[in-house]
Amino acid sequence: MRHFFNSTRREARRLGQSPWDLAMVTWVPVLAVVLVVWIFSSAIPRNLPVGVMDEDHSALSRQLVRMLNASPGMQVVDEFDSESTAQLALREVRVYGMINIPRDFERDIKRGIKADVILRHNAQFATHSSLLQRDVRTVVGTLAAGIEMSARNKRGESAQQAKVSFNPIQIQSIALFNGSGNYEKYLTAAAIPAILHILAMTAGAWAVGREFRDRTLGQWLQHEGPRAVGAALLGKLAIPWVTLTSVGAAALWYITTGRGWDIPGSLLWICLAMTLLMALSLAAGAAAATLTKSLRTALSVTGLLTAPAFAFSGMSFPLSAMPDSARMWATSMPFTHYIRLQTEQLLMGLTFGASAATPAVFLLATLGLLGLAALGLVQARDKPSTWGAR
Amino acid sequence: MTSHHPTSLRSGFVATLRDVLRDKGALMIFVAAPLFYAFFYPWFFGPEVVTRIPVAVVDQDHSALSRSIHRLALANPRIEVKAVGADERAAQTAMSRGEIDGYLVLPDDMKAHVARGMPAMVTVVSNGAYPLISKAVQYGFSEAVGAASAGVEIRQREAKGQSPRQAGESRTPVDFRAMALFNPTEGYSSFIVPAVALFIMHQTLLMGVGMLVATWVERGAAHASPMAWIGRWLAFLLPGLVSGLFYFGWVFWLYGYPRANNVAGSLVFLVLYVSAIVTLGSLVGLWCRDRERVLQVLLFSTLPMVFLAGFSWPPEALPLPLQYLRWLIPTTSGVQAALRLNQMGAPLQSVMPYLGCLLALTVVAGSFVLKFGGKPQGD
Repeated sequence: MRHFFNSTRREARRLGQSPWDLAMVTWVPVLAVVLVVWIFSSAIPRNLPVGVMDEDHSALSRQLVRMLNASPGMQVVDEFDSESTAQLALREVRVYGMINIPRDFERDIKRGIKADVILRHNAQFATHSSLLQRDVRTVVGTLAAGIEMSARNKRGESAQQAKVSFNPIQIQSIALFNGSGNYEKYLTAAAIPAILHILAMTAGAWAVGREFRDRTLGQWLQHEGPRAVGAALLGKLAIPWVTLTSVGAAALWYITTGRGWDIPGSLLWICLAMTLLMALSLAAGAAAATLTKSLRTALSVTGLLTAPAFAFSGMSFPLSAMPDSARMWATSMPFTHYIRLQTEQLLMGLTFGASAATPAVFLLATLGLLGLAALGLVQARDKPSTWGAR
Repeated sequence: MTSHHPTSLRSGFVATLRDVLRDKGALMIFVAAPLFYAFFYPWFFGPEVVTRIPVAVVDQDHSALSRSIHRLALANPRIEVKAVGADERAAQTAMSRGEIDGYLVLPDDMKAHVARGMPAMVTVVSNGAYPLISKAVQYGFSEAVGAASAGVEIRQREAKGQSPRQAGESRTPVDFRAMALFNPTEGYSSFIVPAVALFIMHQTLLMGVGMLVATWVERGAAHASPMAWIGRWLAFLLPGLVSGLFYFGWVFWLYGYPRANNVAGSLVFLVLYVSAIVTLGSLVGLWCRDRERVLQVLLFSTLPMVFLAGFSWPPEALPLPLQYLRWLIPTTSGVQAALRLNQMGAPLQSVMPYLGCLLALTVVAGSFVLKFGGKPQGD
């Protein structure tokens, strides 16, 4: 215990002397989390700019343009007469999509000939283009249903009959767990732990790596045995562990309970997992610093392991679609398992049983990495020649 | 390592190149990291499109029609039918255990309804917590059910005496078709990697330059004349240009990403992009004054930068102050300009605002560097 508290006191003194080091485990994480929440604060993207190429200039085509403009997801910013100006607008990304209404649109429909409304969308902006496809499809569907109904009513078919022969097997689509398609919830909730994961491993690498770089390892660990060194390591990592976990828990509380989002699972279970993710990240940073004996290399390793963790976690691109070798990497990253647990609790409302292994494995991995780091520190402490690498 | 204060353009250039080549840490970041990430990043998204998502079919109808929908679902590449049963609760349980990500319910009255000309309603349930998975499940089942439904409808109309052509045409008065431009297969990797390349270039160069300049500060060798700084920047441009050419010219080609080949435009852009990064990197180095600190403060910045760059999250959805502040980061202009030039083949004029922004960043960051790193210390 004495070694633990001595080390914590020493670390606190060091943080007090270095505003930079203090910032990186206090207000920088707060600011980073606030920024992430702010970025996604306006919820669903609205008014994406689109263009219209109306080659029909009829009452019906104008009605379609009005309906498109009334859809909250998009805004018709320009109408184009020539193909070349329309293409240029798409290339220059002044619009994310171009809706073509063909010549004789109204006349064909009145004669019972099918007409095509074509949306050309910029698939290089995948989020924008999938939102646009969904919204334009809805608007065109509404227009088509209206035309079909009125045509059949004129012919004297009942609405019921009309609906039937229009489409014999209809599909009811249910997206469970996030029916509103609310990207804000999905992205904010995932980005907060992702950024804290990076900051925590950075903090672990920094706290231990700095002792190597500044040749202060002997002063920190003196001549104690492995158990005392382990206690000193825990004492050193305790401060960032408490601050980063607090920031994460507060942020998760704010975006859920604080904003009236009634989650189907347990916030407490998520916070427990977050606590262990922070511990594991700090331990991984400390182990990286001990094994490489170089603060710079430890930070590079941190970047490699944590910076792309969000992209490879299966939240955006599914794990099942990755090649086997890449999936092995992705499933050995702690963030992948953390975010699975968080999603199950925040969106899907699964039982603890579905994710019981995750906190247990995190705890074991943390202890393993701390043990590895402590043993490495005992050895390195007695070899001052290995200190000071840049 | 430089220990004197260079005064001429030539001495700044030569001393910087020598330091880059002698510093193992800098070489790792300038050369090894861009090379490594070029293969590391696309590795995960290799298959491009989301296929073979595990699903189940709940067939309560046991009719020829339900079996034909089942067969069509089996043949659909987006989904992989793992289980067939009649119990919806079993499918729900499998879904809550994460064994499947969606299922299709064919109700027991489907065939009877269709035969009597009444609407039959089938249900597709997908895991909405994962948008790409949900989309693949919905599309996969929609295609299977849609094909079966169209078959039924055409047979019904033919029975009423309409020709197959008429029958096909009068299905719906207005059809909606979506055409994907610039990334025709709508591949995930083709969407994400060309943009991420700009972040890899930015972060590696910014960290490398910052680290070297901070090292000079530690040794009291950072301060130099304006001409010497220009020489240093010219030297720092080299690794940036090399990694830019490596990504634009080779990596994009290797993975077959959409390329529109505005080569001249891309080169102009590259010079301006790299210039903004090296001046900003110098400023970061002068500010941090500590070699490793540069990595510490930059590591977590990638994630917010990606969200602010406007390719994965629409900038129209950002709060207003951020819509302006985001231009202070070179990657915002960089991603917008590079995607237009490389992937969409836009003319150079159309990216002028972004190039102007990069130039302004270069000039402002550069003048700050000259202000704070201009006079030799203690002289």
